[in-house]
Order: sequence, then structure tokens, then C-alpha cells
Amino acid sequence: MGLPFIVCLKALWQSRSNQVGLNRRDFLKKSAIMGIGGIVGASSLNDLIRAENLPDLTVVQGPDPSKTVAKAIETMGGIGRYVSKGDTVVLKPNMAWDRTPEQAANTNPQVVASVVKLCFEAGASTVKVLDNPCDDARRSYVQSGIAEAARELGAKTPYMDSRKFKKTGINGEVLKTWEVYRDIIEADKLINIPVAKHHSLAGVTLGLKNWMGAIGGWRSRLHWKLDKSLADLAAFFKPSLTILDCVNVLTANGPQGGSLSYVKRLNTVVVGIDQVAVDAFGAKLFETAAGRPETANRARRYIETAAMRGIGRMDLENLRIVTLNLS
Amino acid sequence: MLRKLRLISQVLFFFLFLVLLVLTSYRGSDEIRYPVRIFLEFDPLIGLTTFLASHQIPLLLLLGILTLVLTFLFGRVFCGWICPLGTLNHAIGWLASHSRGQHPNLRLLSFRLKYYVLVFFLVASVFSLQWVGILDPISLLIRSMTLAVEPIFNWLVHGLFALLYFSNIDLITLWSEPLYDVLKGSILSFRQPHFHQGLLVGLLFALVLLLNLVHKRFWCMVLCPLGGLLGVIARFSRFERLIDDSCNECGACIPDCFQGQKESLPRGWLKSECLVCGNCQDVCPHTALRFKAVGRSSASSGGPNLARRNLILSGLSAVVAVPLMRVRAGELRPNPKLIRPPGALSESEFLKRCIKCGECMKVCLTNGLQPTLFEAGIEGIWSPILVSRIGYCQYYCTLCGQVCPSGAIRTLSQAEKEKVKIGLAFIDKSRCLPYTQGIPCIVCEEHCPTPKKAIWFEEAVVIGRDGEKRRIKQPIVDIDLCIGCGICEYKCPVVDQPAIYVTSIGESRSEQNRLTL
Repeated sequence: MGLPFIVCLKALWQSRSNQVGLNRRDFLKKSAIMGIGGIVGASSLNDLIRAENLPDLTVVQGPDPSKTVAKAIETMGGIGRYVSKGDTVVLKPNMAWDRTPEQAANTNPQVVASVVKLCFEAGASTVKVLDNPCDDARRSYVQSGIAEAARELGAKTPYMDSRKFKKTGINGEVLKTWEVYRDIIEADKLINIPVAKHHSLAGVTLGLKNWMGAIGGWRSRLHWKLDKSLADLAAFFKPSLTILDCVNVLTANGPQGGSLSYVKRLNTVVVGIDQVAVDAFGAKLFETAAGRPETANRARRYIETAAMRGIGRMDLENLRIVTLNLS
Repeated sequence: MLRKLRLISQVLFFFLFLVLLVLTSYRGSDEIRYPVRIFLEFDPLIGLTTFLASHQIPLLLLLGILTLVLTFLFGRVFCGWICPLGTLNHAIGWLASHSRGQHPNLRLLSFRLKYYVLVFFLVASVFSLQWVGILDPISLLIRSMTLAVEPIFNWLVHGLFALLYFSNIDLITLWSEPLYDVLKGSILSFRQPHFHQGLLVGLLFALVLLLNLVHKRFWCMVLCPLGGLLGVIARFSRFERLIDDSCNECGACIPDCFQGQKESLPRGWLKSECLVCGNCQDVCPHTALRFKAVGRSSASSGGPNLARRNLILSGLSAVVAVPLMRVRAGELRPNPKLIRPPGALSESEFLKRCIKCGECMKVCLTNGLQPTLFEAGIEGIWSPILVSRIGYCQYYCTLCGQVCPSGAIRTLSQAEKEKVKIGLAFIDKSRCLPYTQGIPCIVCEEHCPTPKKAIWFEEAVVIGRDGEKRRIKQPIVDIDLCIGCGICEYKCPVVDQPAIYVTSIGESRSEQNRLTL
């Protein structure tokens, strides 16, 4: 009985926090006032999406990343549904490596830039683009091309500051507490912008794995129980939106690659509120378009772990997926 | 007047030195865009000894000739007007002279000491021992600032702002945080630097500075080998201090002279020991003194007499010092820990050029380049090695070669850098988690930067204590692909004593220290 209760509550939190003008802190306050019991049975995440007549996922293909991103978000109800006037928005791309955009080890800078632009159009007061890189932070921010592209549009791209990692209750199955970056916790809205890449343990890294760049400490320890850790992180972070960059995907020798021969151009972005569904679609794309079924199958293990916990759905056949082609 | 000009010059050059030191770091470009090693390049002692030891001279070190020409024309103005360590000594000596009595007189004998020091280093370099960096003032200053002063400075400033930040009082953080951001973007290091030998180098630096309590500019007058070299040139310089008949030997010029009491009596002035500071000219009540370029040198006021016996003795001690330092048991085998920066020349050639200035350690992105103590013998003390547990060699970074003033580390192109091996990684199977515990861990492989990874997996089936079979990926190092960058050692989750570690074998620069044909 306990598990469905928690699942519903989490789903509700996630869906509620996505609504205009209601951030996590407000939600916590409101649900405390209303009394949790009264609203638990109300709905699930996907019911809410249905109620608004939104697709579960939007997949847009096209040669110009900024256009595909804009179109995908428009189809998901427009940026105004996710970002409100005056919001402090944190964008979490993957800019973990000292690699150039064409090497596809980091999120495509054009994808990030177009999200920055949309956030400001929606009236965001501050947009921060952040990551805790694996390589030297300075080189990763520069070489990824993301920091410059985001700054040009007025976003802030601070390096993570060791003072701001706060030991935080994750309350997950394996992660009880961990150091989480304060700016990310305190943001009004959080948008995850991962890139789909090969990884020797995770198979494919997508949205859930991208949260490893939002935390500090000895992160490499998470690999020992990767599937459960990723589910714990996903349940904790709850992004307003997940924008999966599949413009260029790194199909081998991830997560850094290094040779252009490992990169396949798919010109696709996948956008959804349900981060598990986005990952499930990303894995499928890796299987079909990128031709790496074995790695996709490996990725499905952590996606399944998250789905089983009710963080989101992976039954793509039952989801409403809008597919558009701009070319 | 002369004094004021000198003061302005000192402040400007010292400021320039600090700015260039701060700029000796990654600033968003693969190339260092500022002439960060220019003080070393204008140091003729480094150019001369590098040439004597290695029989080669990096082109830029020829700039040192300009300093010699300057000295020939105007005396030791480099010491008095330019040298940043001289300025620091000057300032501390000045402060000290106002607070307590200093030794009133430096005996002539002590001036001579620096010439013997100079002869020692010159003769040693003729016998291929490049050790001048230990006492060369520019090298000493950059090394001390990098290894000792900067870490202390950063620790204090970061600590202060952390204190303010955690006070969590808006009234404070509202101004302290923006200020901190400005400092982080300018003078602070990107992260707190940590260096081996910081304490030793720092204490020696403190000693140099504290000697000013004995006598102002004690270092410059008594010990500095560059001061010695410039003193030799200054003896013959076309510059004189002229005294006219209005001098009544009142002695007003004496207290402010670095030469000390007896020696600076107007008639006892020594050209080689004069820093052209201009103090005497400015204080003379009779305006009897002035500095003037003359057609030719007058022999009377050259410099202290050097005892031939002592010169020979210091030369001989250098001859003995070379084998004393070199003949050691450690030279019989390659040292596994002696992992030199990428582009470093073969060990013997490297040591003939490295001046231990610490520029490479200053610029290193990851703080991985550390000064040695005895890993390369006493000859190579404070030369750079990569300590992967502290920091690794970033795959696309070539900064250390770019800042090396003497060519001990070649400047590598991006393409060369990707191929240069500095060592080789080994897996300690008794500590590696997939081998010992059957726990999945791919962290070394994940971080391995070569496009085709130098770490690959063998899939093994391990049986747990409960009898359960598990498939596990066990890492293996590909010795052809591994470049020894050390990121695997740095990132290994077995944090105390990593389960993968790099040793120097396989380094491109050595023909002997190889594992395979």
C-alpha cells in the first residue's frame, strides 16, 4: 500500500510543479496546507498530461537544431507552460568533457542556446547553464561551445563552486544523502538537456544519467549500483522538461568519443515532461537510427528501474508521441 | 628625481611581473597569449648557463643580451630598477630599516661571495650541470610565488569568502559574493593549488626576505648570482658617479646606500655594487653627486678585489659537485615516479635545461605537475613531475611546453601531444573492484581520453559468496594506446591507493625505459 502512495505523490509533485506559476516550494507549501491525503488519489502524471491535451513526447527532426527545439517545445504546449515570468531557470546540459561540438560528447551548443532564448522569451529573470564536468571545468565549458553560446544570449554560465554543494536528503533506495548543487535545488525551474551517447556501463546515457553532473562528492561510486542510483536521482531532481539532444549521437567509445567516425548525425530532438519516457525513446532511437541495439538494451535496465518506481513510463506503444519532420 | 623615476620603474615592473604570473594559466585559449616568461627571457644568466650546459640556446633567451648591453651602458639598473625580487627585497629592507637597526656595515668580503656563487654555477654548467635556477633570482621568485605564496594567498582569500558566505547574512553576501566573483575572474587561482615542497620552498623564500633584516638587500648584494654576473659587466660600464668639489664628505649619502657605511663613502664607491638607485644623488645637500654616461670606464671604481684562490676554489667545488650529485644509485634504473611533462626531453637533456622556475607547475590545469625532491637526484630538485593522484595530464592541453623558458619541455602541437607517451598505466588487480569484489566499475575506461580507448574490458563470470554467478567487465590496459596521462589513476574510486596507477615506463622520450620492442 505504501509504494503506490509514494508513487502517486511523486507523480503529482512532478506534474504540479510543471504548471505555470507553481514552483516546487509553492507546491510543498500548498500540499501541506491542503492535506496530502485529500489529493493523493487525484491523478497520475500522464493523466494530467492527457487532461491538458499534450503529447507525452514530441520528436522533431530537421537540419537546424534551433528550429527543431523551438518546434518541439511549441508542440509540448509552448515554453510559457514551463517557464514563468521572473523565474530563475537552471539548464543542465551535458558539458562534462574537453571535446568540441562535432565530437558529440557534450550537448549541442545550438540546442542549449535555443532553450536559453526561449526561457528569456517566456520572461525568465535569470537563466543559469551549469554542469559539474568530468574534465577540467574551464576547458569543458569552453570546448563544448556551450558557455559562449549561452552567454551571448544573456545566460549565466558559472563554474560550480565547492561551497555550494550541500549534503541533501535524496531519500532514495541507495542514495540516502548526497552533495547536490545549491543553485539547482533552489531554481524555480529546472530543464534537463542531455545528449544521447554510448557508455560502457550504462549502455546509452540519456536524461537520467545527466543528473550525475548536478551532484558533487565521489560520484564515480554511483557506478556500483548504477540503475538504482539513477532512479534515485531522477526521483529527486524532477525537471520541468527534458530535452534530449540527438542531433549528433556518439555511438561508440563514449562518453568522450574523440573520433568523428563514432558520431552519427540524427538531427533529432526528443522533448517530454516525463523524463523516463524521454529516455525510453532515446534508447529506441539508439537501437533503430544509430544501430546499437545491445547498448540500448543495457540502457533499458536503468530506465526500467525508474519506470518500476513510478517515476515515469517506458511503454512507448501506449504513449502519445507526436513526430514531426521539418526538413 | 632619479630616485622617483627608479621607484616608478620598480613598481611598474613588479606589477608587470605579478600580472604575468597571474596570466600564466589557462584563460580560455589553447595558446598562452601573453609573454608570461619574459622576465626569464631577459635574464642573461639563464641564457648563458643554458648555453653552456646544453650547447644550445632557445632563441628567446638571446633577449638576455639586451640586459647585458643595458648593464654595460648604465650599470646594474636591472637590479635596481627592474628585478622583481630586488624590488621585494628593497621594500622589505626599507621597512626594516625604519623599524629596527640593521647591521651598519657589510664588509667588502661579503660582496665577493656572489661572484664565487656565480663562478660555481658557471663552471658547473660548463660541466653540463644546470643548477643555476636554485638561486637565479627570477627563477627563485617565480618558483616561490607559485609553490608557496600563491597557495597561501588563495587559501586565505577563499577561506575569508567562505566564512562570509556561510555567515548567510544577506547584508554581507550581497557585496561579498560579487566581489568574490571579480577576484575569481582575475587574481585567484581557478582552484586552490596544492604543492609538494611548498613548505621548503616557502621557508627558503622567507629566509631570503628575512635577510633584509641583517642588511637591506642582503640577497642582492651578497648572494645573487645574477647580481654577480651583472656586477662583472658593470665594472666596465660606461656610467659613472661623478663627484664635484663641493663634496665635503659629510656622509649624508651613506645611510641610504645599499653598499653600507664604509664602502659608500664618496671616494670608496664601487661601480659593480651600485644599483643606480639614485638615493645618494637625491639626498646630497650640496648636489655634489650625479650619474653620467662617460666615454670610457675608469678603472679606479670598478668592484671588489676577488681573491684568485677563492675563484679557483669555487670553480673546483663545482667540478666536484657534478659527480657528487650525479653518481648515485638512483641513476642505475629508471625511476617509476619520474613522469615528466609531455614534450620533456630525454632525462639528461631535460636536466641540462630545466631551471626549476615552476612555470609549468603554475600553468598546469590540474595541479598535477609537482616539484620533485629527490626523484631526479639533488640535481633535479624542484623539476616537474606528474603526480597523477593530485592531477592528471589533460588530453588536449599543451600549456606546460608553451611556458617553459629553456626548452626543457618542447612546445607540442595538438597532434604531437596526442601521441606522446609520458608513462603507462597498470592495474592493481588486488584492489580493482571488478577483479576483487565483482563490483561493476568502469570509471578508468570512461575517463580514458584516447579516441580508441586504451582501457578495454574482458568480460568474466565471477561467483559470489552466495554462489550467484555474475558477468563483470574487468579492465585491461592496452599498452600500445596508453599515453600515461594518469586520468585513470586520478579518477579511480579506490581513492586512497588507486587500483590503477601510472609509472614512467614506456615514455616516448626514453629509449631504455621501455616495456616492449
